[in-house]
Amino acid sequence: MASTSIEIGAEIPSVTKSVTTESILQFESCAIIDRENIHNNEELAKERLGTTYTLASGRMSIAFASESMRRFFGPDVFHHTGSVNLKFLRPVKNGDTITVTGKVSSQRQVDQGTEIVVELLCQNQDKDRTAAGIGTAVV
Amino acid sequence: MAEQPLKILDYDKLEIGEELGSYEYVLTQEMLDNYRQSIDDPDAAFPTLAVKHDGTALNMVYNDTTGGVNAGNEVEFFNPPVPGKKIFVKGRIADKYLRRDKPYLVIEATAVDEDGNMLERLKTYQMKKPDEVGKKWHPQA
Repeated sequence: MASTSIEIGAEIPSVTKSVTTESILQFESCAIIDRENIHNNEELAKERLGTTYTLASGRMSIAFASESMRRFFGPDVFHHTGSVNLKFLRPVKNGDTITVTGKVSSQRQVDQGTEIVVELLCQNQDKDRTAAGIGTAVV
Repeated sequence: MAEQPLKILDYDKLEIGEELGSYEYVLTQEMLDNYRQSIDDPDAAFPTLAVKHDGTALNMVYNDTTGGVNAGNEVEFFNPPVPGKKIFVKGRIADKYLRRDKPYLVIEATAVDEDGNMLERLKTYQMKKPDEVGKKWHPQA
């Protein structure tokens, strides 16, 4: 687990994930209601977005970023005090490789300890930004 | 889960603070395994992300024929859910606003397990003109 004296600028472990049609559909299969959407129905994605492909759910990027954060802070901290907040900038689709990176940007005292803020970035294989935002945890 | 007729989603009629579906389900080991495999992370602890608590709550009340593009998510983690335990979810409309003439809807869900442990709070920012995003991604079309 990270100590309470985390340096500003410290890098969190990056994770790189291959996104495939299979992984997109498997993620969608975790839902508790059957529902056609732009992630599991190519025709619907075409109708609504004009794309020729289904999109990965933005929540997959949240999951990838959460893994980076967990590896840095440890599950005992991140699973109980963590947060991830991402804006989605570009579509993620079959064949993409997404890499999450992050750097500690600030910290502040809160009732439970020290809240560490990490700037998060998701990029695809072309180095295009697909999502950006912040993650936090209290140490 | 209660079966009720769905209302057609009319963005203009949605009210901030409006309650959405309230439901419960049992998280299974299979769901957890599927989730972990889908994101290639054997230690991932929150399959609730893929259950999409807030979107599910919305879809239990509304028939959203327009759809939307997920512009962003905010998630807070409190306790990992335990397979075999019941999860109780409550959803609501947290906000709606226009930005650059585009309508945004913010939905939120909180999840608590059968022991009363808070698990997760999730917010989704939906942009309700998905065709506009498609044009941005494919300007030649």
